[in-house]
Amino acid sequence: MPATALYCYGITAAATAKLQPGAGLGGAAVETVRSGDLAALVSRVPAGTVRARRRDLMAHFDVVAKAFEAGTVLPLRFGIVFDDERALVDEFLRPRQTELLSLLKELDGKVELRVTAHYREDAILAEAVRENPRIARLREATQNAPGGHPALLELGELVAAEVQARTARDTRALYERLRPHAIRFEADEEPIAYQLLRASFLVERKRVEKFDAALDAFAADNAGRIDVKLVGPLPPHSFVELERRR
Amino acid sequence: MAIATQGTASNYLQRAPSPSGLADVVELILDKGLVIDAYIRIAVIGIELITIDARIVIASVDTYLRFAEQVNRLDLTQTEAAGLAELRDGGNGGGDKAKGVFEGMKEKVSGD
Repeated sequence: MPATALYCYGITAAATAKLQPGAGLGGAAVETVRSGDLAALVSRVPAGTVRARRRDLMAHFDVVAKAFEAGTVLPLRFGIVFDDERALVDEFLRPRQTELLSLLKELDGKVELRVTAHYREDAILAEAVRENPRIARLREATQNAPGGHPALLELGELVAAEVQARTARDTRALYERLRPHAIRFEADEEPIAYQLLRASFLVERKRVEKFDAALDAFAADNAGRIDVKLVGPLPPHSFVELERRR
Repeated sequence: MAIATQGTASNYLQRAPSPSGLADVVELILDKGLVIDAYIRIAVIGIELITIDARIVIASVDTYLRFAEQVNRLDLTQTEAAGLAELRDGGNGGGDKAKGVFEGMKEKVSGD
């Protein structure tokens, strides 16, 4: 086993690959390994395992982000290591060349925008009380009751259902605003409390402003009840799937 | 591309060119990104130490009771006043409340 291995950050077109001044994992210089029209961004790491420390994760992200400033890049997941240049070329770049090139072409000029939207707890709960008479009634009945009032559970169920219904409605409205400006999206499906949306949108660079404006309009319409955050433009981390091969 | 500086931008939307916290970076580079065929090793240690413990909603008695409690504690006159102040000052109070949503979120990463 060789003493060092090659850690791989991402793939770019050979034509746009530039040597990066910055450092990768463990402060090692970032190099490129070329194969045909492809270039892999790599740096040397000690053979063995890679630790996922905060600075390592940030280094991976930064190398990909820097490459993205120069052109299209396919970000790799954290922690992918090859034995050496030859393994990288023979096991990955060459056998996957066609697919990688077509992904690069497909993602050319496109960026990932990450959107999160959350309710303000007090605002949405107040809406539920004000606009659902059954909730208001049960709240009144249970509010000053000593100990656990038997109707508390029913109240909680009603509130949960009301919040869920509002979440569905507002999330749909948000998607409707954004969809015209995005090519596709990937949403995280975990149901997080008071979260409407946590998703990545693939957007053409020239449409980023329109996307931003549409999201901003939604945020303005829902000021005081929904907090909306936009992160990006990012490299297309969420849109780089390869076909699985045995 | 600095989208935060465009002329029409309002204060309602929070914008950031890149993820601000480790949790957001982790989401992008541990859960997403190209994965290669199984025979190429993904050689990472320490990942199991990274836990993102957001509050996942599960339909349960506990969840319902928590909702009931929250609603009963709610000061409706307060939320109304806050909503109006919000509209008046152009939505600048966004930051603090948004943090409340994440209070159950923990980050743990080995070493540093």
